Amino acid sequence: MTQPVINLSRRNFLGATGVLVLGTTLRPAFSSTQTNSFNPNLFVTVHPDNRVEIVSHRSEMGQGIRTAIAQIVADEMDADWNDVSVTQALGDARYGDQNTDGSKSIRINLDRLREAGASARQMLMQAAAAKWDVGIDTLTTEEGQVVHLSEKKRVTYGELSSNAATLVPPKNVQLKNRKDFKFIGKAVPHVDASLISEGQGKFGADIRLPNMVVAVVKRPPALGQQATSVNVPEAVKNDSRFVRVEQLDPTPGAPLFFPVGGVAVVASDTYSAMQFSQMIDIEWSTSDNQSFDSRSFQQDLRSMVESDLPTVHQSGDVDAVFNSSEKVIEHTYETAFLSHAPMEPPVALADVSAEGVKVFAPVQDPQNTQLQIVGWLKVPVESVQVNVTLLGGAFGRKSKPDFVLEAVELSKRLSRPVRVQWSRENDLQYDYFHAPSAQLYKASLNQNGLPSAWLQRAAYPSITSTFAPQAKSPADWELDMGFTKTPYLFENQRMEADGLVAGVRIGWLRSVCNIFQAFGANVFVDELAHEAKVDPIDYRLAMWPEKGLITGPAMPTPPGHEFKIERLRNVLNRARKISNWDTGKAEGRNLGVAVHHSFYSYVATVIEVGSGSESSQVKNAWMVMDCGTYINEDTCRAQMEGAVIFALSLAQMSEISIKNGIVEQDNFDSYRLIRMNQPPNIFVDLVESTEAPAGVGEPGVPPVAPALTNAIFAATGVRHRKLPMSMS
Amino acid sequence: MAKNLMINGESIDVSDQPEQMPLLWFIRDHLHLTGTKYGCGKALCGACTVLVEGTPTRSCQLPLSVAEGRDITTIEGLVDVNQVIREVWVEQNVAQCGYCQSGQIVAATALLQSNPNPSEQEIESALVGNLCRCGTYSRIKAAIQTAAQRIQQSATEELEGE
Repeated sequence: MTQPVINLSRRNFLGATGVLVLGTTLRPAFSSTQTNSFNPNLFVTVHPDNRVEIVSHRSEMGQGIRTAIAQIVADEMDADWNDVSVTQALGDARYGDQNTDGSKSIRINLDRLREAGASARQMLMQAAAAKWDVGIDTLTTEEGQVVHLSEKKRVTYGELSSNAATLVPPKNVQLKNRKDFKFIGKAVPHVDASLISEGQGKFGADIRLPNMVVAVVKRPPALGQQATSVNVPEAVKNDSRFVRVEQLDPTPGAPLFFPVGGVAVVASDTYSAMQFSQMIDIEWSTSDNQSFDSRSFQQDLRSMVESDLPTVHQSGDVDAVFNSSEKVIEHTYETAFLSHAPMEPPVALADVSAEGVKVFAPVQDPQNTQLQIVGWLKVPVESVQVNVTLLGGAFGRKSKPDFVLEAVELSKRLSRPVRVQWSRENDLQYDYFHAPSAQLYKASLNQNGLPSAWLQRAAYPSITSTFAPQAKSPADWELDMGFTKTPYLFENQRMEADGLVAGVRIGWLRSVCNIFQAFGANVFVDELAHEAKVDPIDYRLAMWPEKGLITGPAMPTPPGHEFKIERLRNVLNRARKISNWDTGKAEGRNLGVAVHHSFYSYVATVIEVGSGSESSQVKNAWMVMDCGTYINEDTCRAQMEGAVIFALSLAQMSEISIKNGIVEQDNFDSYRLIRMNQPPNIFVDLVESTEAPAGVGEPGVPPVAPALTNAIFAATGVRHRKLPMSMS
Repeated sequence: MAKNLMINGESIDVSDQPEQMPLLWFIRDHLHLTGTKYGCGKALCGACTVLVEGTPTRSCQLPLSVAEGRDITTIEGLVDVNQVIREVWVEQNVAQCGYCQSGQIVAATALLQSNPNPSEQEIESALVGNLCRCGTYSRIKAAIQTAAQRIQQSATEELEGE
């Protein structure tokens, strides 16, 4: 028995033609089944029954993008929200970038989505003008209808759809004035909220295909190990639910998005596959990674920052100032390996047949997934169809489609649909881990207590090691996340960085290097402010000009996304205000602050912890965000709330440690996350802005951990310089 | 002898299934009720929560042999019971990715059935086993409180109407 898969129209189309030809799929997917539908561009279809189908080409992982895209297009179209539904796009180069990553969906799509909606509206008006034989300037639109102003005539978009479908899209479109926005900027509930509340949201493991089987992969203890013998007990072999075992070999060279290898145990159902995988015996070859130890690796990173590293930026003469200064302060900060741990572990369903390749998976980048499959199977891109389900959390993990390639490879070998289900243990132990780090900060203070010279060093394994074997040094774009792109710029300054190659895969986790680089910088500044006996907010404000662009050694920014110090000052000042910072300090409340610019957004955080034995208890968190123009007010708030929880987990308790190449944590008892009884009250203040739209999903994370440890220092005088605070 | 489970009011024959199979995999793989989620397999995250005789239970650790003969309700079976909770969940935009929310809503429904007016602490201890990586905890808490008020209000109105 099977359940229908999502998106019936697309399936019917496929069924009719056999091999999928993408060049003709996406638009006809709608209009071939509904010939009277109006489908002016990739994002909009208006059906004769008034339904407005809007395509989300970005993946939904909780950040609300399906809703936001619909808000933008529907707003410019003047659609009736009740008529709007969202269809998830396949991976297809015609959409342009589909890599749902880097908090950039709105930043890079707002204009073209507005144009898509506006263009549809204009064509519908044109169709109405022709129908009534009136000038288009006598018409306007209102909730899914074209309205003739003086004659009080109305016609619905659905009624106009077949006529509009014959028109040519306009070259220039008129966009709305901001003041006329109906959906953009508003708190519209998420389009999938109702289905999710009924348990009907379709995630990766919720899709079935006829004749499918389930595979669970027993992966090598350390990376690079290969099965040398596999013994399947008779009890397994004789079980009618057992299908077979398949050996997957690790791919030599850089990890890329390739499977780590292992032995796949295939069965008719998930439970059997999991159970059989525990019953088989595997002997493994040896691998250099078996000697990898995260504790000595951490030591090595720390030793590195204690001496000179390659210089990435230099101004003035730091050493001369240090030598002539009475007060020089130096501290080292360290952070651990982390795992993404989305609630939905990686899972993918693949069907490789003579007709082509069909995949259903929770992936952040369906286009790259498609290309990876093309490279893996050596098949034409037109034959590979990647369907994106809802993502049960991702945080960067599901932009690496290694789990999809496993399913594709197994389906090819078995000539039937295969779902690969990762266990939680697999998820935590074979992740693309967030890099651990060590940073050293050193500064001399002048008579005013402000830095007269400043040295910063960072050492961490680079994400580039996932793409080039043995790549060692942090890339410019990694350093740009809060190390070289920093508001802490001085006349005498040196920045140094280097890395080490880890024995596990390194990946990007929500807010990436900003996590540790914002931590080092914000805690060190707090330490300096304390030395100088200046309030840490005043201290920062005193360092910075009133306004102007921050450049320094930072990478170039896209137009409209310059780093403006006045916006950073503004969020900090607002955080001061909403947290009652000054009276709170005076009353002895234990407050800590941090502020950070990432993904072109500005976020300030104030954290309050308890006193005495409750100093590790987070009572309140205030988040102020300036992300420029935003689409869904409530989503922005939700993302700030979520960022606090995400960051408190990594600050207080989450740590991946590795011994003999084996990850020591394997489930939520050892890889701990914040639970319902631990969160603080969270207050979010969103800056109204007409600036270009910037990131929302990630920028809330970086300032939380330093604000927390700064608050704990205020409460106890104990300075936490390691994350998690419980670091082993 | 045929063994039966009662799931969402229907009697279901499980005699050809392994006794040790956790209820989670039976309802997902065999009944194709996919609202109940796999998150950890060790009763550590609550994504697989169902009601067994009205009590929130981690179905990933409940073998069919133990579930036998008991009255089991999944998220799909609560649709006629928890309208108010679902309504508030949508209004207050509780879910982010949504993956853990079935478990959260099942736990919330059971809580309000046994305790119509839970304190903040009672909510926390009832849902402490339900992880949410997106961090929707404060919204879950607020939604349960709103739903509790709304349910009580409508109960009062009904009484007054009689």
